[in-house]
Amino acid sequence: MDEKNHRPAVSFWASAREVFGFFFFLGRRTGKTRVFFLLGMIPAAMGVLVRILVAGRAEDYAAVFNEILMLVYVTFYIVILPLFYGTSIVAEELEGRTLPYLTSRPLSKPGIFLGKYAAYTSLMFLMVTASLALSYFIMNGHRLGDPELYLTFLRYVGVLGLGLLAYTALFAFLGTFLRRAILIGLMFGFGWENVIQYFPGSTQRFSLVHYLKSLLPRQAASGGKFALLLFRLEPSPPAAAVVSLALIAAVFVALACWIFRTKEYLFEE
Amino acid sequence: MTAVIAAKSLSKWYGNVLGLNDVSLEIEAGITGLLGPNGAGKSTFMKLITGQMRPNIGEVTIGGRSVWNNFPLFSSIGFCPEQDAFYEDVTGWEFLTGMIRFHGFPPEEAAERASRALATVELLGDKDRRIRSYSRGMRQRIKFAQAIAHDPGIIILDEPFNGLDPLGKRKLIRLVKDFRSQGRTILVSSHVLPEIEAVTSKIIMIHHGKILAEGDIHKIRDLIETYPHMISVRSNAPRALAAAFVGDASILKMSFGPDGRSLVVETHARDAFFGRLQSVVVEGGFEVEEITSPDDNLQAVFDYLVGG
Amino acid sequence: MATIREKGYYHWDGRLEERRFPWWPITRTGIQLAFKKKGFRFLFAGQFLPPVIFMAVIYASENLENFKFMVRGSDRIISITPGSFKFFFTFGPVVFLCVMMLVFAGAGLIADDLKHNSLQVYFSRPLRKRDYLLGKMAVVLFFVLIVTLVPGLLLVLSKLVLSGSLRFFLEYPWLVLSILGYSVVLAVVFAFYTLLLSALNKNSRFVMIMIFLTYIFSDILSALLRETFRTPYMILVSIRANLEQVGAFLFAQKSAYPVPVGWSFVVLAALCALSAVVLNTKIRSVEVVK
Repeated sequence: MDEKNHRPAVSFWASAREVFGFFFFLGRRTGKTRVFFLLGMIPAAMGVLVRILVAGRAEDYAAVFNEILMLVYVTFYIVILPLFYGTSIVAEELEGRTLPYLTSRPLSKPGIFLGKYAAYTSLMFLMVTASLALSYFIMNGHRLGDPELYLTFLRYVGVLGLGLLAYTALFAFLGTFLRRAILIGLMFGFGWENVIQYFPGSTQRFSLVHYLKSLLPRQAASGGKFALLLFRLEPSPPAAAVVSLALIAAVFVALACWIFRTKEYLFEE
Repeated sequence: MTAVIAAKSLSKWYGNVLGLNDVSLEIEAGITGLLGPNGAGKSTFMKLITGQMRPNIGEVTIGGRSVWNNFPLFSSIGFCPEQDAFYEDVTGWEFLTGMIRFHGFPPEEAAERASRALATVELLGDKDRRIRSYSRGMRQRIKFAQAIAHDPGIIILDEPFNGLDPLGKRKLIRLVKDFRSQGRTILVSSHVLPEIEAVTSKIIMIHHGKILAEGDIHKIRDLIETYPHMISVRSNAPRALAAAFVGDASILKMSFGPDGRSLVVETHARDAFFGRLQSVVVEGGFEVEEITSPDDNLQAVFDYLVGG
Repeated sequence: MATIREKGYYHWDGRLEERRFPWWPITRTGIQLAFKKKGFRFLFAGQFLPPVIFMAVIYASENLENFKFMVRGSDRIISITPGSFKFFFTFGPVVFLCVMMLVFAGAGLIADDLKHNSLQVYFSRPLRKRDYLLGKMAVVLFFVLIVTLVPGLLLVLSKLVLSGSLRFFLEYPWLVLSILGYSVVLAVVFAFYTLLLSALNKNSRFVMIMIFLTYIFSDILSALLRETFRTPYMILVSIRANLEQVGAFLFAQKSAYPVPVGWSFVVLAALCALSAVVLNTKIRSVEVVK
């Protein structure tokens, strides 16, 4: 064998970087990403319709965004996207039987997992941010000269970004060892999360959405039907919420990396 | 010669089904054919030596190092899996450069290697088409390309001839033989015996998860004592030739070929028969056109070992 | 007398009979495959929980004396009427459980065939496109009817048995037809809905998400649009709300929303028509790859 062709193994971070590059590129190509992107444009489309068809005060438009559109983002969009992409990290390699292409390379398995996690989370972050930017600035178009507007926008982006990190980590973890991770994910994301967040006291803290809602800016209560977003919320301090979400993401990613490294994956014959 | 790949007491279960049964062997540099019917354990063995699976018992090593979860080892291994599976939404070029980049090559070198590999498998003209639009043969060739693009010292090919047309197979066979001359270690699996015979005479025969035989085809044949050797002699006077051998105690059976010009002899003492044949032909003045051993081939050896 | 038969090939003189229901093997296989999944078996069993609870309510209503100590003003509270049946059939969580069952039984019906290029295998047999689609549709119809129609009829029967008289049946003789009608509407709509989404992508996991997402999101979007634009007609966006409107009509109850029920029928019919068009386009024996 020609020794000049022998290369050292790719380091953990280099593995993650190369895998990130490949799957971020691949993820942008797939039809599924286009579907989810279009889905994310629905809140923006709604915002346009509201501005055109509904005569109202500027505060009303802002309230529509804060209480209605954000409800869609926080309780629906950033749960369904991670459910699909998170569980796909391992599942699509098994279903498509493409896992050998990755595991027969000098790439560390945790690096492979982290690279795909980062690629899909980045992709989702871009989709969510684009949608959020459109709907937010459409509904708050009367305040474009106000710097506070942009700070609030960045805060929303941060909240949704943290949510994506945490949910994707959780669902990706489920996907590393469960064959039907989607069922458990649906039950958690739309069952447990929807119910437990309204429980009083510390029980709320056993849901991810509690921490996300704790980070949302407190708007003056409109008293309308759609104060649901903050309904019964006993918020955690913002710093604690950020740390909790980051920790949850880190722990589940670490567990998933460990399972991916040690588990043997067999294709269904 | 030192073993490149070594398996020691390798066993693998799929639930209650035994996939590989106490396999111990060593594979040296050069081309080794892994031969067996469907379900024999060939792919199981391939997956174990490429780290796709973990053995239940035993160990498989490459260069003395254990394979399972030893990813640095894979920088010198190229694996062409059996499954027809790809990332369908990328082009051949994107797929190949991506796979090469996973080995740590910088983008420019990855591009150069990809070009070379695609040229080798004659897919350079189709590199910008999405893999989902490739034909079966093209898919097989791009799969082979990703296994060799990083110039590995060890190449594992699991059923590499699937889906190739006769010309494609011939080209691949030539390619594989070129790799041997470069000092690489190549393990090729197939259930189609002529394909293996075309690339190598060094084989490992596997059936029901057990190794039936390993080594040179002809030497294995010699070792199969239960079956007499069959020798066909084509001459101008086969019956007269037969008459000369009738009294020979080492001859078990004689028959005539369907063309009426061949004498087919079965004997346990092949060397003695050839010595005797020489003197009979000279003394009798026979004209011998051809001498062949119909059962000194892979198919016959396989049939004896598996069917017997 | 001895005969020596020729061992060569000879023509078969029998008659080839076409199977009466060519779609049946497809349906049977689809049902068997669904039951092979553990998660599905769990969900399927869960579908029978609401009917069991409803049956307990029926039992309690017939034995009010024994339960009076638990219930105040009980004569008015536990009273089984067609409204109770309408509530049972259109109750959000019950329909949601049905959708979850479809997520697992229906997502791969066509998606898996597209993924494995099985359509060519199907249509190389004497099978027409409509037999194929009917066979797939029958899988969904089977599962939906078995958790709606069958429990519904058993509940009526249990009401009759527990009450010990035919009074309930004589008072509402059309109830059985209502149950049958609504179950069929639900089954047909869900069959078209599931197959539409299954035919749109080869990845059955993605289809699972889409079946769930489309159903839930239509409801959320409808609620948001209603509150934003202050018009009840936005309920037409929600699959669940349209089914509830149709249910109210079939059980002769007051509509939950002040929208003419005809519109809901139109929306559901349009969904089925869209599905039929897409299925007719997507299901072909030869795939053209560009």
